Amino acid sequence: MTLRRGVSLYSFQQSQFFKDLMLDDQIAEVGGIVGCNGIEIIDEMSLRYPDPGEAFVRHWFAMMDRHGTVPVAMDVGMDVLQFRDHVMTHEECAERLRQDIRLAKRLGFGIVRVLSVTPFEVMKMAEAEAERCDVRLGKEVHQPMALEGPQVTEIVEYAERSGSRTFGIVPDLGIYQFRPSEALLKWFRRKGASDEACTAVGLLSEVIRAGNGADFDVSLHTAGNIRSDFRRFITSGEAPETCATAFRAVRAFAEAEIDRPTELDFLVVGEALTFSRTSPETLRQMAGHVTHVHAKFYEMSEMPEQSGVYEDASIDTAAAVGALKAGGFDGWLNSEYEGQRYYQDRTRADLMSEVDQVRKHQSMLQRLIEA
Amino acid sequence: MFDRFFVREDSLHNTVEDGVITGFTLAVRNANYRGVYLSLHNGYFLEVDGVAYEREVQRFAINGQGPRSFAEIAGAVNEHWAYDDEGVLHVLKPGGLAPGAHTVRIQQSVLAAYGYRPTDAAWVKEPPVPGSGAGSDKAPEISVFHLTLMGEDIA
Repeated sequence: MTLRRGVSLYSFQQSQFFKDLMLDDQIAEVGGIVGCNGIEIIDEMSLRYPDPGEAFVRHWFAMMDRHGTVPVAMDVGMDVLQFRDHVMTHEECAERLRQDIRLAKRLGFGIVRVLSVTPFEVMKMAEAEAERCDVRLGKEVHQPMALEGPQVTEIVEYAERSGSRTFGIVPDLGIYQFRPSEALLKWFRRKGASDEACTAVGLLSEVIRAGNGADFDVSLHTAGNIRSDFRRFITSGEAPETCATAFRAVRAFAEAEIDRPTELDFLVVGEALTFSRTSPETLRQMAGHVTHVHAKFYEMSEMPEQSGVYEDASIDTAAAVGALKAGGFDGWLNSEYEGQRYYQDRTRADLMSEVDQVRKHQSMLQRLIEA
Repeated sequence: MFDRFFVREDSLHNTVEDGVITGFTLAVRNANYRGVYLSLHNGYFLEVDGVAYEREVQRFAINGQGPRSFAEIAGAVNEHWAYDDEGVLHVLKPGGLAPGAHTVRIQQSVLAAYGYRPTDAAWVKEPPVPGSGAGSDKAPEISVFHLTLMGEDIA
């Protein structure tokens, strides 16, 4: 059993946007971190999609050799309005997925990560192609989803029934987030959110962490898109049926805690809807079904009274790594930095260094893995 | 994401065709962490100095091709707009913009988020008019840029 360390190049999205750090530089950066050599990419971020061409494929493997890195996982999307004159059928989604699987295979990836919202039926329609290419399909379990929900259970049960390792799950450690990151709260404050709203979401976080947040729970019903849905609810009153109860509860909580809350104040308190409240014990039990891990983080900060030792103070990464070790997980934890967007309201000089954040996160992962 | 960066600051130009100023242009990037199939790109909410420019007068140039209307872009179902690539938004406006500083309010609409959405069928029938935040998943606010007209582009 080995826990290996890698980086999702998603972490460098901002550096790439500004062309400060392009794909080759990103790979070199990962290869330069001691003890870290796994590469994960988003296909539509890192590649000339859908076909990067043979010259690129040769270059890709040369880069892997040069920097001592290995392709671990390719993350693929599912944009169902691509054809514009109809919503893509499951078969059309599966066909895109089959193409993505072949592309992953060409680039040496052993895992394709599908979105948490991908219907299981679509995965099953691509199963034969995945097996033919010796590629595993991992469904992301992203907050506010929980490991205990039906979207995970159906995969675990299918895998155990069939004995096949083709399907698995990709826990995004944001599912162990227990309070909003300071990066996000500071961003909201600069946009004009009230101190009361930031206090209120802290209070609600504590209610949920203590296990008393059932009224605010959307983790078993839905996944992704929760922020845009809640925003629509606050402005229009409309909500997907499965979220309506929780949305109303959050609105009521905000109204009780905040004097005349603004739309932005509601959105701040609504951040508590994104918590998964999933159990580390469930991760331990499911460790054998984990294809790899998105080690999500928002902001690295020095631990209290420990100079030079870093943590993400909003995500319980220690509990997750402990559960993976106890469950005998053998595979990759890939750093996935997502705090950069919460500085993008400022000038370029004020943006975060993704390189610095990833290095600090890697030092934390090393510490937790060796603990 | 990239709300204040997705329009290039020095990209505002008038367009000159056959010696006549026919409009103006802006250079834009995907306000996201990835590229998308070009067909999903649904146009812009755009207001310059308080004057609105609807999608009907917008054209988009990407992938080495000339400006295309958003009706044509919707048909580019197998063409991809890569994350690294800058596109040029062309706006038809006889006479173009006056020299000097301009206030640009803009929102990009791309009909892509994560998988199936409750709005899918409605957006097939009628795509959302950019500006409400619909189809602006990662940059749902209207961005404000203060740009200076940099001169003329000869088409």
